[in-house]
Amino acid sequence: MYKYTEQDKKIVKNRTKEFKFQVERRINGDLTEEEFKPLRLMNGLYLQLHAYMLRVAIPYGELSDIQLNKLAEIADKYDKGYGHFTTRQNIQFNWPKLLDVPDILSELAEVEMHAIQTSGNCIRNVSCDHLAGINSEEVEDPRPWCEIIRKWSTFHPEFSFLPRKFKIAVTGSEKDRAAIKVHDIGLKIVKKLGTIGFEVFVGGGQGRSPYVAKKINDFLEKKDLLNYLEAILSVYNELGRRDNIYKARIKILVNELGQEKIKELVDEKFEELSDKSLELNQNEINNIFNFFKLPIEKKTNSKVPIHSDKEYNHWLQQNVINHKIRGHSIVVISLKPPGKPPGDATSSQMRELSKISKDFSYGEIRVTHEQNLILPHILNSNLYELWSRLKKLGLSTPNFGLITDTICCPGLDYCALATARSIPISQKISNHFKEYSVQEKIGDLKIKISGCINACGHHHVGNIGILGLDKNGEESYQITLGGSATEKASIGQIVGPSFSTENLIPAIERILKTYEENKKKNEDFLSAFNRLGIDKFKEDLYK
Amino acid sequence: MILQRDKVKKNPFQIIQNVDELVEMKKKSILITLDLWEAQKKLITKHKFNLGLEIASDQSLGPIKNDLHYFKLIQFKFITFKDGRPFSLAKKLRRSYNFKNEIRGSGHILPDQYIFLLRCGFDSVEIEEKNLETWLKFLEMDKGIYYQP
Ligand code: SF4
Repeated sequence: MYKYTEQDKKIVKNRTKEFKFQVERRINGDLTEEEFKPLRLMNGLYLQLHAYMLRVAIPYGELSDIQLNKLAEIADKYDKGYGHFTTRQNIQFNWPKLLDVPDILSELAEVEMHAIQTSGNCIRNVSCDHLAGINSEEVEDPRPWCEIIRKWSTFHPEFSFLPRKFKIAVTGSEKDRAAIKVHDIGLKIVKKLGTIGFEVFVGGGQGRSPYVAKKINDFLEKKDLLNYLEAILSVYNELGRRDNIYKARIKILVNELGQEKIKELVDEKFEELSDKSLELNQNEINNIFNFFKLPIEKKTNSKVPIHSDKEYNHWLQQNVINHKIRGHSIVVISLKPPGKPPGDATSSQMRELSKISKDFSYGEIRVTHEQNLILPHILNSNLYELWSRLKKLGLSTPNFGLITDTICCPGLDYCALATARSIPISQKISNHFKEYSVQEKIGDLKIKISGCINACGHHHVGNIGILGLDKNGEESYQITLGGSATEKASIGQIVGPSFSTENLIPAIERILKTYEENKKKNEDFLSAFNRLGIDKFKEDLYK
Repeated sequence: MILQRDKVKKNPFQIIQNVDELVEMKKKSILITLDLWEAQKKLITKHKFNLGLEIASDQSLGPIKNDLHYFKLIQFKFITFKDGRPFSLAKKLRRSYNFKNEIRGSGHILPDQYIFLLRCGFDSVEIEEKNLETWLKFLEMDKGIYYQP
């Protein structure tokens, strides 16, 4: 895992001081709310429907046991005893007081954490494959690259007042678990003729106008990564629209100019601006890679304990993945138990998990962009004991990748922009389909729910997407089908008129029935949908 | 008032709105807008002025790419501090166009942006006197430790 250098420590400490000064100036009136807003946002502080919300960065989703324990402490001391893990691998606290925030930031700094650039119109926390460095099919571990990008993008003097927010994701595998094609920039590590470099995608995104990113570079040499990112950002900063907030993301620029033109502009800028001092040399790269060595020393013949407990076996089947080192496993901890808001964890769960990760996983925990947690390095023989401890905490729900493993935004319960509630919908789904056997029969299926057109719940890329609307004061829900955020990224298609809260579950049932009746052997929902087409589903749903 | 790093300095540049003022007032250092420059370049260059050019944050460098040698000062006027285009434009002036004279920020800018401005190639800022202390405080808080070169 990455450890702060002296430089990191000083920068974070200094930032905390600076923010304290900004809060003071806001309170004594030197800064107007309009001026303070972008400054506090750059420190992860939002104003929500009822209170401030603080979003703390978890760079590329990696946490240590000490950090998780600190998050538990903060949840107790400054919040209501829980935290919410987000779709960009961060954690949010929903109830901090403005005056407490500088203290929270100081406490976070003690454990090498911060809230820098978790919101605002700047380059956000870089996100990453949650199986980085531990799966056997990857070309190279993307985490060190995320760290290199994190450094470069933090307090970048040129790119802190962009037209709009800017999100980057990196994957090192063919199988995309980081949703790179719905990010402003997606980087995929590839190997060509024995050399490792990047494929570069730009202009993906969700929100009101969803787009799948376009490839603008087939092979970018490693040493040029930062110069190339600077070129993209510089083009965007100059040409990105600032007249309309809904047209300000780079996806709109890419779409207006076209793939060829944006590529040409970026290449031109790259030629023009390439700065020798940004070129990465192998030594620097190696230094960062050294932080990410696997803690596991060697492969073993450690066996998975056999027990007759049905729940344990469901969990093994659903939430445990092979580690690239023999004798070890990766364990997914679902934060989607029946009836609970997706992504929430209580302080006592976090505290216990911190201990568990220390006992079983070298003190490492990861956050996935699908709002679950991961224990990355578990010796097989420990699996039963681990499961028993997770079960006591209510953290052994065996639903990873299944219909109740939903993604969901805060919606009308918290968010000032919402047009409908989303958490209760997710709760309804998780209660309705809670039987493992039912879910297992449905198979891999991603449901994603947003409480308004801004699409923070990623409904456009849900296999089944649900968008909450306000129809003359009544909540109603529009369904899209066929979306995906994987390597075969696609934007879901609207199936037809929306459904009331009561009719939503029956509608989902009907969609699943169409799938069930028409699927081929071992065909998952998305593949069946792509084969059958939307008309078949529409016909069945509205007849 | 004009602040250059930690020093307050005099501003010899006086803003000119139209060409008549040029002839009448015989000023030595004048600041003109990009629009005026584009419309009256010939006339303006007939006189021996110290020329300063004001570019608003929503204007581009395109029209003056080949005229840079005329200017002793280029001033970027921020329409709002949230519009970060001048950061890129100043950097481009320095890096791509090799502009060596003064670059100044004016308009709606915040002391919180001071270090970013300096690091992107700005030399000075036009500020309100009452905020001087805050601007200096940001300079003092800066320890020169950055992730970027
Ligand atoms: S999708 Fe809408 S309701 Fe949900 S968090 Fe985003 S802005 Fe709020």
